[in-house]
Formats: sequence, structure tokens, C-alpha cells
Amino acid sequence: MAITRRQALASVGAAALASGLAKPAIAAKDPILIGYLPALTGPSSSTGVGINRGIQLAVQEINAAGGVDGRQLELITRDTQSDPTKAVNGAAELTHGQKVSAVFGPVNSGESLAVVPLLARANTPQIHPCWVDTLTDPKKYPMCFRNAPTNQQIGGAANHYVVDVLKRKKVAVVSDTTGYGTASVNTYVPMLKAKGADVVYQGNVDAANPDLKPELLRMQSAGAEAIMPWSVNAGFLSRIINTRGQMGWDVPIVGQTTLGSGQTQALLEKPEYWAKVYPNNFRPVCYAAGGKLSDRTNAFLDRLKSAKIDMGDTLLWWIALGYDSPRMIAEAMKNVGTEPEQIVGYLNKLKEFPGVYGDIAFTADKHDGYPDNEVVMVEANSLKDGAFNLAPGYGA
Amino acid sequence: MVESIVSTGLAIGCIYALIAITYNVMFSASRVFSFTAGTLGMLGGVLGSLFIARMGMPVAAGFLLALAGGAVLGIVTEIVAVRPVLKSLDQHLYVLSTLALALMIQQFTAIEWSTEPQPFPRLFDIARGGFDQQIWLPMLACAVVIVGLELLYRHTLIGHAILAIAEDNFAARALGLPERSLRVASFALAGVIGALAGFAGGEMLLAFFANAPMLTFYGFVPVALGGMGNNRGAVVAGLLLGLFQQTANFLVGGIFASVAVFTVFIIVLLVRPEGLAGVTFQRRV
Amino acid sequence: MDTQATQLRPSRPNVLGSVSTFSATLPFLALLLVGISLPLFGGGYWGVIATRACVYWVLVSGLNLVVGFGGQIAIGWVALLTLGAYTTSVLVAGTVTPALPPYLALAIAAVVGAIFGLIIGLPALRLRTFYFAITTLGFATIVTQVALAWQSVTGGGVGVAGPIFPEPFASQWGFYYFCFGFAAICTWMTANIAASRFGRALTAIRDAEVAAEASGISKSALLGTVFLFSGAVAAVAGGLFAALQSYITPDAFTLDLSILFFIAILIGGRGSILGPLLGTILLTVLPEFAAPLVAWSTFLYAVLLLVIVLAIPGGIAEILDFKNRRPLESDRAIIPRPELLEPLLGAPPDAGALTLDEVALSFGGVRAIDGLDLEIRPGQVHGLIGPNGSGKTTTLNVISGYYAPQRGAVRLNGAALPVFARHRRAHMRIARTFQTPRIVGSASVLQNVMIGGTIDGEGTFVESLLSLPRHRRDEATLRDTAMLALAAVGLERLAPVRADRLQHSELRFTEIARALMLRPAFLLLDEPAAGLSAEEIERLGALILAIARAGTGVLVVEHHPDLIFDICHHVTVLNLGKILAAGTPAGIRAHREVVNAYLGA
Repeated sequence: MAITRRQALASVGAAALASGLAKPAIAAKDPILIGYLPALTGPSSSTGVGINRGIQLAVQEINAAGGVDGRQLELITRDTQSDPTKAVNGAAELTHGQKVSAVFGPVNSGESLAVVPLLARANTPQIHPCWVDTLTDPKKYPMCFRNAPTNQQIGGAANHYVVDVLKRKKVAVVSDTTGYGTASVNTYVPMLKAKGADVVYQGNVDAANPDLKPELLRMQSAGAEAIMPWSVNAGFLSRIINTRGQMGWDVPIVGQTTLGSGQTQALLEKPEYWAKVYPNNFRPVCYAAGGKLSDRTNAFLDRLKSAKIDMGDTLLWWIALGYDSPRMIAEAMKNVGTEPEQIVGYLNKLKEFPGVYGDIAFTADKHDGYPDNEVVMVEANSLKDGAFNLAPGYGA
Repeated sequence: MVESIVSTGLAIGCIYALIAITYNVMFSASRVFSFTAGTLGMLGGVLGSLFIARMGMPVAAGFLLALAGGAVLGIVTEIVAVRPVLKSLDQHLYVLSTLALALMIQQFTAIEWSTEPQPFPRLFDIARGGFDQQIWLPMLACAVVIVGLELLYRHTLIGHAILAIAEDNFAARALGLPERSLRVASFALAGVIGALAGFAGGEMLLAFFANAPMLTFYGFVPVALGGMGNNRGAVVAGLLLGLFQQTANFLVGGIFASVAVFTVFIIVLLVRPEGLAGVTFQRRV
Repeated sequence: MDTQATQLRPSRPNVLGSVSTFSATLPFLALLLVGISLPLFGGGYWGVIATRACVYWVLVSGLNLVVGFGGQIAIGWVALLTLGAYTTSVLVAGTVTPALPPYLALAIAAVVGAIFGLIIGLPALRLRTFYFAITTLGFATIVTQVALAWQSVTGGGVGVAGPIFPEPFASQWGFYYFCFGFAAICTWMTANIAASRFGRALTAIRDAEVAAEASGISKSALLGTVFLFSGAVAAVAGGLFAALQSYITPDAFTLDLSILFFIAILIGGRGSILGPLLGTILLTVLPEFAAPLVAWSTFLYAVLLLVIVLAIPGGIAEILDFKNRRPLESDRAIIPRPELLEPLLGAPPDAGALTLDEVALSFGGVRAIDGLDLEIRPGQVHGLIGPNGSGKTTTLNVISGYYAPQRGAVRLNGAALPVFARHRRAHMRIARTFQTPRIVGSASVLQNVMIGGTIDGEGTFVESLLSLPRHRRDEATLRDTAMLALAAVGLERLAPVRADRLQHSELRFTEIARALMLRPAFLLLDEPAAGLSAEEIERLGALILAIARAGTGVLVVEHHPDLIFDICHHVTVLNLGKILAAGTPAGIRAHREVVNAYLGA
């Protein structure tokens, strides 16, 4: 029977499409591909750099112990450069090109906002540590999970500390002019007001502005009793701390975790300026009342030391979060295999994943896995070996 | 409050003025504006931090090396991005070549040095507060440069030669002045001035690669407003810009302050394209 | 005139052989084919990258007219991408207005983009290059800051979801074809403009602004139109970008993106469509080939830009310009054919005389022209000679409208000419050439001459954009007329050659051909014989006489007294801005003072 040219073309086309759609048969010893979208370079890379140290260590350990069911884990990294367009390109390559089984990241909210819909369309499970509240939606994006706190949780802990523990009612909320900064201020100010606090100052300041004295003077003359800065920019945060010190103004600074990072510390004019600075952090990686870390955390610190991983210029919890994430994915795969629906099903029933950074739990309706009560405030200048003391009066 | 705005405004205005002078010195020598002026400012801070804070050199040595680095970049700009395009018929290639060079250096710095601002060392071990060195260092640098340039241009032979090349290129060459060497020297001088601006302002601006685009723009505003090639106009305009920016920051906040600066700049330029103190000049045919 | 022109079109083969239009469109067809068939051999990943390249090209195609053709250094065009993206997304999301269908939102975004393209571009008319470049950077920053601050509309830092276009464009490949369609249309439209009087006029503004003015091209009208178009397509690209990203935040619109657009055009080559198209594809695809390359991508773009500027200013287009690599004949002679002037210039004009009455002009303390009376009558050649600095070129410039006389007036047929309206001179059929030939080096000789006929075109910009019949008629007529003009001056065999390959004398004759396109009532020649050989000067003289015989009044400013005495009906001698002597050539030659001051014994 003669085949017309159109039929021939059609069958070639169909074959091409079919081969594209068919799942590749995975040989038993092929590596498991995990996609990873950190921001290792670019303006918002400090988080990504810290997380990266933890991830690399975890993957090495898992593979050294035999991998998952005898298969090695392979991290396919695409640096997003803190740029949402590159994040989208990277996500497309990881899913369509490399056909990864799961994706961890992106680590910055702006990039995640663009990537989440794409990964959903590509039927790929995703775990990310970004804080912006709208980044999980179990109905719309059933495969997307968050193993870090939400903005609400972070702000809630900070606001609680300022208003309920320190008992300061007049608050100054300040951020830089980035997306994260402005979004945070917008979320936290109503939360403060709902707690009965009086927001006497609210502003977005250009992070490159070398002189923040007029801003702080304004806060002071408005009667502020506490300053709450929200920014990941170490330069900006250090200027606030330095200016407060220069002015000799005795008010607590309570806010973003980067207030406690090594980068911020390096930019302080005097070490004593770091007193009464309370960034948020996470209980499992902090010193408890007796000055002790939990056993799990101590063991983790030992592993970091023997792997010669530097903590001085970053934050321990970033490294810990990075460390926990592939272990959680590996755990899922050990239990149910690498099919997307299975992984998602497992995660939806995850009661308590024992992470160094925190115990993660998900349900089918709640894809924000970090427990409220593990978000705490710490004392910045108690930094020792990467961990902090809990902030004073922190009984809750 | 006012005192803080004024002092910081003047200090940062001096940095902008110095970058404007950098633009002007390059312009005088070649009739070309170079995008590398802001990058020189950034390098002054980065090199200062590299030599003194990271490598532990004494302040004086780090200072001189940073200035030397600026001179080298100035010379490289002339050789790579300016000289080859001066010969071509297309007058505007210099915009592209200097832009390319500036971008290359900025990106390299971002990747190799850091994408985050790094600390700049405290230069003199005096207690903080009051009229702090952060404030008077840029002012001192600006004053030194203005006086120095004045002495150079008016009272030395080489300064006269540079002015001659700038004013009437053909006549100067006809008189036998070594145009190329003088231009290279001017660009080296511009490099030193730019690096000095970044170094003097290092504590205030920190050692940060993103200072480059910021200084490229804010350093150009005084040139545009003060009239191209006009150093006195540039200094006045720079100081005014610094004050305006700090006032705007305070009155309307960070986002709207930069919008305000850009808008005022564009409007002034549209009303008087030759600048507030500039001179219209035309013979095109 | 058309029939005569076509009949007299020279049939000698041109110097480079025939240029086939098919070979010019072949690369585009190849790209079209690759693009349409992409799903067959590329996976979803390359689909995303290809979609992105298409979206970027939609913006770059419009920006290409501004930067590549118009020569305006607009570095901050990402501002329009941002505007388009946010406008489309916000209108579709329905947070401010009731939710609109995506196509309508995209159309509205195009209008908004056009308006802002004009706003951002207008400073180009007032400012010098570098200043304009900086203002566009300023605009890019302003738009991003406003997006950040205007939280009620744009969502501020958290941003807003991008639009989703309805089926069949909702799936990944469907959306790819949607963007590909826009990219193809934009390629077609901008290629039409490139091959139209608007495209040529843009290159004239870029490379030979005074010649453009003299040819009647209004810089503000043309650039304004191009900014409108470029802004509109950039905004459309923004809407498509927002759909591709699914979600937009201000930090997606980086300066790096702006630089990418700009560099794609420069790498591709100015005045080309194919070059920037390939440049855009290259710069979008390049970082995807090696993961470590991503961090260094902007550095590499900058290196590429520097290399191109220094080594191959013509970019990819120059590399691909094979036909201009073929060597030219070495002994070329310029042999004008004055008999072609009559069909070219048409019936003699019935204009009166062009007169200068007591014109005086000083620059500062220097009296450039001091009480000058001059009369140029149609059909006559008037020579203007004098030592350097006597005011000859200044006189020409006053007539052309560069300077306003401080006393006296320039009159055409008794009515004073409007001062400073340089580009109106062409409409009054006053044409000129320049002391140094003002030519678009990267265009062909034919295109350069066609620039002279710009104001004769009747089709509008939109008609050219869509290649409607009136545009095609304009092009055919212009092309025929230009070939006729080239034949008249003796250069028709060099028609397809790139102008910067020509000898100096050939450029001078090209300028005359261009000026003749205006069918001038008055022709002003500024030192046309400079740099010509003796033989060429003879032929030039014969040509000028023939032009005058056809009815044009010619004013020749010259240093070669032999040429002046041979061809002029009247001669005026200037010295220090004043008339030293005026009269017939014979009288002037014998005039004692003239001999002393200027001619020598």
C-alpha cells in the first residue's frame, strides 16, 4: 500500500513527539537527577551561597553512604544570578532538558514567583525556602512545597518580640527599596497595628544612601522605641546599626536575619554597636538556656568542621537549611521512588522530618512546613561558632 | 537633622564633583566622554579596601597603589577605547567602546571581588563623630584636586600644552606638541582623580561594585549641568546635586528621591542642553 | 517623465554584477523554516529559549530602527519592556480596571508604549549623544522605581502575575508560535522600513545629518515616528515577556537586559535587519551553552561589543556582506551624460532669482560677511571666489539657513527665506553639496542618491511598514530616478557599491547626483572641484553648464579659478567678507585688485 507523503510525514512527526513524551527508562544504577536553582552570583546571592555549602555537603554524605537504593544523587545546578529571567531559563532546562526528578529552589522570592508556575506545568515536584507568602498554594500548585517559614511567621515572631516581650508600643519599620524590602514592610505594618502597636515611622530607604542619620533622627523625633529593619542588604543594615551607635540612641533593633550575619558584622564601625540587635533565627540552631546546642546541631557542627566549611561570612541556618533539603528529598525517594505523584503524596503526609534547621511537616492543605514556634529572635552579638543565644526575655 | 543633611550632602557632592572633573579631564583631552569615569570611582574604593583591609598594607602604600591603579585604568581607556575610535569617521563609537570597557571592569569586579559591599578601612585612627573623616576626606580631596588642576593648567608648561591640545587640536599639533603623549597623560591624570574620589569616599560608600553605575550617572549630572569641560561649573553643580539628593531622600524617601533627581536632571537638560553655565557652540558645516 | 526615465535607464552591467533579491531574503527564509519546525527537533527547554529570543527580537527590531538606523544611543529601552509588561499584566489581572481580555490589554500596552517611546526618545532631538544615552538610563531607573513604589497598581516588590493568552496560545508550543508570529511580522515590517525612504532617511540622519537636512528630511518628524513605533513594539514585547515569565517583579527588568538589547544591535551591525536578528539570537542562546558562562554573560557581551567596535564596526552584517568584498575595477572614469539631465530635471522652473540683499553677519567681533549683494538667476552659473576666510562658505550657509543674517535678507523671488528652517530649503527646490562629501558610508551609492529624493515620496510610514502599493510605487519611481541621476553624472555602474569604497572624486559626483534628485531651481556647490583631477574638473564643468542650461541657477564656490572662468556667467570675488569685484569672468580676470589680492600676476 503506497503511503502518501503526508502520511509519512505525519508518522515521522508522531514518532518524534512520542519519543519526546515517553519517559526514559531508568536503568537501576542511573543517578537520580535533582535540579537546583540557587542564586550564587548577583546582588541577592548571600542566601544562595550559604545554602549551597549545606547542600553540597549533604549530597556528598548521601552518596558516600550509597545513595538512594544504590543510585547516586546528582545535583544539576543552574545559577540564577538573582535574575528571574535566568531562573526561568534554568527551570526550563532542568525540567525539559535534563528531566530532573525534583527541584530545590530558587532561593529568592522574585525568582520563585516566576518559576513555580513553570515547574507546575512541567509536573515536577518543587521544594523552595522562599518567604513570600503567596509562594505556596496547595490548590493551584499541588507539587510546590516550602521548607522554610513564611513572611507571616517571620514577621509574627519579630512583632511578637517587640510588642509583647520588649513591650515597646511605638515602632519604626524601615526597609530598602528592593522588592523583598517593600513587600515586607507592607505585610508587617498591618500586622503590628493589629497587635495594637503604634507605627510611628514607616519608610523605604535607598540602600546605597551612605547617610541614614536623617532617617534615624526622624524615627527618634517621632518617638520610636524600637527599630525594625527588613532588608537582606548587609551594607544597609550595618549603616542603621552604625548610625544608632553614633547617635548613642538606646533602642533595640529587631528584624531581618541578615542583621546577624558575618557580612553585617564586618561592616560595623565598633563591635559594641552590635549590642541590642535581635535578628530572627531558628531555635534548633541556637544555644538553649544552658548555652548548649541540641545534639543534632552539635553533630552537624562537627561535620561542618571536619568538612572545613567556613561559617564566618554567612549564617548557620542557611547552611543547615541547605543541608536538610536534599536529605528530605532523598528520604522521600527512598520511601516511595522517584515518580512525581509518589513524591508529592509522601510529602503531603510528612509528619515530622527531623531537620537540623527544623522539623518539617506538610499536609495536603498546608504546604508551608516550618513550625511557628521554632521561629525565634536571637542576640546578634552572641555569635559563636555560627550559632546565637536566644534573645533575652524570650520565654515564649 | 539639617546639619547631617548638609554635611553628608556636601561630602557626597564633592565625590560627584570629582567624578565630574574626571569626565571633564578626559573630555578636554579628547573631546570624548568616557563611561569609565564612574568605574574609576568604584575602583578607588575597591582597590583601597583590597590593599589596606584585605592585604594589610599601610594606609599610605594602599593609597598610592589605588591611585596608580586608577592611572593604569585611565591609560588603558585611552589606548583601548578612545584612541582607536578617534580616527574613525563615526563620531559616536567612543560611547560604545567606553561603555564596553566600563561594563567589563564592573562585571569582573562583581565576580572576582564580591557582589556585596565590603568594608572600607578607617584611614585615620581618630574617634568618630562630629566632623568625621568620612565627611572631610572627600571635601579635602576635592579641594586638593581643584587647586592642583588650577596650578597645573595655569602655571606649568605641561598644563598649558594640555589646554592647547584641548582648545585647538590642529594648531597645537602644528606647533609640534606631542598630542598623543599629552592625551595619554591626561587620561592617566583623570584616572588618578577618579580613583581619589572613590578612595576618599570609600568609608561612606563602601567598596561595592554597584557604585560604578551609580557614580557614572551622578558624576555626569554635574558635567551636564555645569557645562562640559567646565570644572568650576562641575564643582558647584556637584555640591548642589549632593545637597538636593540628601534633602530629597529625607523629604520624600528613597524611591522618590532618585525619581526626583532624574526628573530634575532631564528637565534642566531639555531646557538648557548646554548646561546652566555652558556655552552654545556650533559650526557644523 | 517615468517612461523616458525607464527608457533611458542604462543597460550596461553594473560593476558588481546583478544583485538578486532572492539571495537577500534567503537567510530570512531559512530562519523562518527553522523557527516553524522547531518543535520537531527541539525539546521544551529550547522552546522556552526560542520563545525568549522571539520576544527579545520583537523589542530589538523596533529599537534597531532607533539605534541601528537612526544612530540614537538609547541604552535604557528596558523601560518600555517594563511598561508593556506591567500594563498588560495589570489590565488582565483586573486589579485597577475591570479585567480585560489579553489581546486588548496587549493592544493598549502598545499604545502606552508608543506614547512613552516618544517621551523617552524626544530628548534625542535636543541633546548630544552621550547626554541622551544617560537620560535613557535615567528613564529606565525611574520606571523600575515607580513600579516598586506604586504598590496598589503594580504590586510593588511582590509584583503581579503575567497574562495568560487563550487557546491555542496557552500551551507552551502554542505560545511559542504566538511569539514567533510577532517576531516574523516585526522582521517583515522593519525590513520594509529599511528598504523605504524612511529607513534611508534615518541612516542619513545618523551619518550625514547636514545632508539629510539639505535633502528636506525633518529629523524631529522622522525620529518622532520611529520612537512611536519602537515604543509600541517594545511594549508588546513586554506583554509577551510577562506571559513567558508567568509572573513579573521589578527585579526582572535589569539594566543587563537593556544592555543586551543594545549590544545585540551593535554586534549585528547598524543599518541591517538580519544582523541584529542574528545578534539577538546569539546573545539569548549563548549563555545557555555552558553553565559557568551564565555568571560571565554580561562580561562576554561587553567584550564582544568592544571587539566589534574596534575591529568590525559593521558587525555581523559587515561579515555577511559578501557582495561588497568583490574588488572594484581600478581604472574607473566618471563620464557624465548631460543629455540625461533634461528628462531628470524636467521642465525649467519658473522661479525668479535667488538674491542676497546687503547681507551682513558677524561672529563675535569678526565680520564674516559685510554687506553682500548677490544674484543667482535661473539658467546661469554664478561663481563665488576669494581667499580662505573671505566668507564664501559662510555665504552658502546663510543661504542654506544655518545662520541668520544680522542685516539684510536672502530672498527667493522677492520673498525672504525663513531663517533656520534648513530642511524647508529642499521643498523650495534649493539644493546643495558640501565642502567635505556628506555620505552614508555604509549604504550603497544608489541608496545615497535616493536619499535626495526623500521628499518626493507620497507613501506614509504606515504604508511603508506594511509594504502597501503606494510605498512600492514610490520605491520604484525613486529607484528609477536615482539611476537616471547616477547615469547623468556618470556613476551608474557604481550604483550597488557601498559608498565608503568610492574614491573622493566619485563621492563628489554622488553628492551632485543626490542634489539633482530635488529637481533644483537653485543648486549651491561648495568647492566641487576640490580633489579632482584635471580631466574630472573638465567633465565637472561641462556637467555644471548642462545643469544650468536645463534651467537651474547654479552658485559655485570654488578655489580653482580656471574652472570658474570657464563656466561662469557671472563671478563675484569676496575678500574679508566684502565684495572685492563682481562681473563677467573676462572683466574679473583683468581687475587689478583681484589680481593683486588673489590671482597673482
